[in-house]
Amino acid sequence: MVIALFIIVLLVALPVFVIPSRARHAYFFTVTAIEAALLLWLAAGVLGGGGAMVFEGPGWVPGAMPLEVDRLSAFFIVVVSLAAVSAALYSWGYLKPYRETKPPAHISLHLFSFLLLFASIIMVVTARDAYGFLFSWELMSVTSFVLILLDADRKEVRKAALSYLVMMHVGFVFLLVAFTVLSAAAGSASFDALDTYFAARRGIPLFLLFLVGFGMKAGVFPFHTWLPEAHPAAPAHVSAFMSGVMIKTGVYGILRVVSHMGEGLETAGMTLFTVGIVTGLYGAFLAAVQNDIKRLLAYSSIENIGIIFTALGAAAIGYTGGNNLMATCALSGALMHTLNHSFFKSVLFFGAGNVYRTVHTTSLDVLGGLSRRMPFTAGFFLLGVMAISALPPLSGFVSEFLIYYGFFDAVARDAGGLIASICGIVAVSLIGGVVILAFTKLYGVAFLGSPRSGAARGAREADRMSIAGFVIPAAGILVVGLMPAVFIGGFMSLTSEIIGVEYTPELYGYFTGRLWEISLAAAILVALTAALLLLRRWIVRKYPPATSPVWGCGFTTSSHKMQYSGESFSEGLYGISTSLTKNSGGGEVVDKDEIFPTRHSFDLRHKDKVLTLLSEWWVESVRRINKRAVRFNTGKVNHYILYALVFLVLIFILTVTGVI
Amino acid sequence: MSGAACIAILLAAGIAMPGVINRVRAWFAGRRGVPFFQHLFNLRAMLRKGVVTGHTSTLIFRAAPSVYLAAVLTAMLFIPVGGLRPLLSFSGDVVLFAYLLALSRIALILAALDTGSSFEGMGASREALYGAMVEPALFIVAGTVALVSGYTSFASIFPALAARGFTVEMSIVLLLLVYVMVKVLTVECGRIPVDDPRTHLELTMIHEVMVLDYSGVDLAMITAAGWLKMSVLAAVAANIAAAVTGGGAVAAVLWIVVVAAVIATVESFIARNKLSRNTTYILTIVAIAFVLFLVAFLLESDITVS
Repeated sequence: MVIALFIIVLLVALPVFVIPSRARHAYFFTVTAIEAALLLWLAAGVLGGGGAMVFEGPGWVPGAMPLEVDRLSAFFIVVVSLAAVSAALYSWGYLKPYRETKPPAHISLHLFSFLLLFASIIMVVTARDAYGFLFSWELMSVTSFVLILLDADRKEVRKAALSYLVMMHVGFVFLLVAFTVLSAAAGSASFDALDTYFAARRGIPLFLLFLVGFGMKAGVFPFHTWLPEAHPAAPAHVSAFMSGVMIKTGVYGILRVVSHMGEGLETAGMTLFTVGIVTGLYGAFLAAVQNDIKRLLAYSSIENIGIIFTALGAAAIGYTGGNNLMATCALSGALMHTLNHSFFKSVLFFGAGNVYRTVHTTSLDVLGGLSRRMPFTAGFFLLGVMAISALPPLSGFVSEFLIYYGFFDAVARDAGGLIASICGIVAVSLIGGVVILAFTKLYGVAFLGSPRSGAARGAREADRMSIAGFVIPAAGILVVGLMPAVFIGGFMSLTSEIIGVEYTPELYGYFTGRLWEISLAAAILVALTAALLLLRRWIVRKYPPATSPVWGCGFTTSSHKMQYSGESFSEGLYGISTSLTKNSGGGEVVDKDEIFPTRHSFDLRHKDKVLTLLSEWWVESVRRINKRAVRFNTGKVNHYILYALVFLVLIFILTVTGVI
Repeated sequence: MSGAACIAILLAAGIAMPGVINRVRAWFAGRRGVPFFQHLFNLRAMLRKGVVTGHTSTLIFRAAPSVYLAAVLTAMLFIPVGGLRPLLSFSGDVVLFAYLLALSRIALILAALDTGSSFEGMGASREALYGAMVEPALFIVAGTVALVSGYTSFASIFPALAARGFTVEMSIVLLLLVYVMVKVLTVECGRIPVDDPRTHLELTMIHEVMVLDYSGVDLAMITAAGWLKMSVLAAVAANIAAAVTGGGAVAAVLWIVVVAAVIATVESFIARNKLSRNTTYILTIVAIAFVLFLVAFLLESDITVS
């Protein structure tokens, strides 16, 4: 079925190369929308209690590779489809300047790759056997590589895309080895064979292989280094789709593997929990010191993956500790956060894309004051910022509430996983606080205050299509945030299927009750805010609105140069964050004796230390080995003949002694 | 009925606490001090003035005070006083409470950045940093009382605490939690030694510098929300203390007054920290809270050390 589906998608996608360029994007969007609608209909059937569906391919297609849609697959299909439609809609406006400057074939290739990427992610979350899965996985990596390369004439884009491709293949090798080990031991390589494998052994080595393979895609520390490079390079809708959805296939894969684990589950849970906390803290602290919108968003994706992995680990710990409530809460929270993160990350990357299109940079230091110039983008972006900071009454709060609830409940009832829970509470709350710092910095420096450059001063609101792209994810943020109780039933039946716990109507009612109370509090909050705004309006009605320069300590003409920059805003975290980065500063500092400073330029960078460690160590080792090897390259013919002789003698001896 | 009583007490405490602090400070300084309700007269004066906004400021600047006050008011609905049940409660509301305070913080930070003034950016940066650092302390305190009482909503935690008998050790742990809670209040409400509400130098301000450009009704809302935030956090501390000493709502109210007096005493004798020391100071509070949690956990698990 994988091959059959692949052929169908190829047939549907290939026309983008021949359709005239005026209608091309319309065709692309229609195909994406129809595909998404069909998939949503299918997923709704499965989630609505229809039970798992299996698609065996037609007989004439080589390779069986069936696709199976169970609840977990259906859930991921929903996440992927919603994100794909909004990304396709958004790209309509975003690609407009590219359509004018790039050759049409290049744009066609981009759209073609997107359709293939969408289909391959769907295949990843539905394929059950190793061949189909690895085929789809590889297709996903290659198509996303092509998508990153839209701006291939920029050198850093090529570099980022290549490093992405290399890391994905290192991850692929780990998955390949893992499936080979599984196949050798259990007789067949599919996710269902994991049952027999884990029944016989502890399976931690196999789990670790999968963790590295899937963690590479998900962006788990220390395999996260491709994210902050690839996202700034990729176009906005691709970043949104990759960050919102594609990295979640790593979460999906780990969940599939862990759900089959038996005896080793506790160790696996502790591993996931620890890895999640480290990833989350690392992502949050590094996000806070970034001075580029997209780079900051990339680190925030790492941080969110960390939260999801922490919750997955907590679910496993709770389950093995006999605390099913904690397992249910943490797993529902992790899955809901997966959905929510795809919503608010789409909004944020679309916003960053709109900024990039009009200002032509995403560097915080030249932005500022955009909210007056691009009110719609700024409004949606603010919604995304509030949601990702997990503030009530938006969706990010609900998923984090579920995770916290599991922790707090374990602490209060002294049930299994108490010590892990308090560690989880501390870590998630610290991450939450630092994320607030990072995102107030992002929003405050880019959208508020006064413009820091002429380009920012001339910023204009994006076209209607680019604004329309916000609608689906923004609606998702609001609906899930304001009425979470409507969705919790679906999440609970999903978790009950994964962890094998029958949920009782009492437990279901208990959760629905909690979440309706949150809705009530959210309603009170919104109503109070509205009432206070009206009250304020009524009080100031008598006075004419007045504006004046802000307080400048005696200076009446405040300059945009006096504003806090992104770098200065996160100054307080430097002691912690910069120990994780390699810092370089170029240019000349303003000297103390300079009473009237002239023009200075100063360039400060915080590069990820892990990136430099990983790449530089390899390069350095290869260089060192080369240095040794180069001694043999003497340039004298007699030496080379000697090498050949030594080689022949060696072969002779080895053959005679029977080694080879 | 008891929910309304809770809100009335918390509102009254919010109005009284600045007065108590002023009086105690004046007494230590040997002054007569301003009238007890002077801050209310100031509030009335603010309400009678128009609003002036900065040139660059947007809707965020105008909406932030309302969001700030609304978030604090919503958080207030979850706080009991002694045995009185609050208006709203559900298990896990401690999380909502903490995130409502975070919402109030983010509203002011964004409003400060909206002015584009260097001073306000300075305050916003510090507020964001200290807020991030103190967040775990609040959560650990909530976790510890949840552990000892067996509940996860404020409305059930404090009555359950009051109902169970305490060993001397556990009482000490809980009273130390009250201390941590007062420190959390110090950070969240910008009191000495983290922030000095009376300082005159913009460079060393935190909370005050964030609201420099507010005037009229906006400033009034921010000021009032600040009092309420203080009374809400003081009530959490007072509830823990009242659970140890017993005495229900009356004891809780007395403890709120004690908290105010303690804040004033600290402010009368201690200078503010150097700003660079604040991070260490706050992280120490978090560390103390974590140690307290572990001690409470050991006491609860009945591990006897022979």
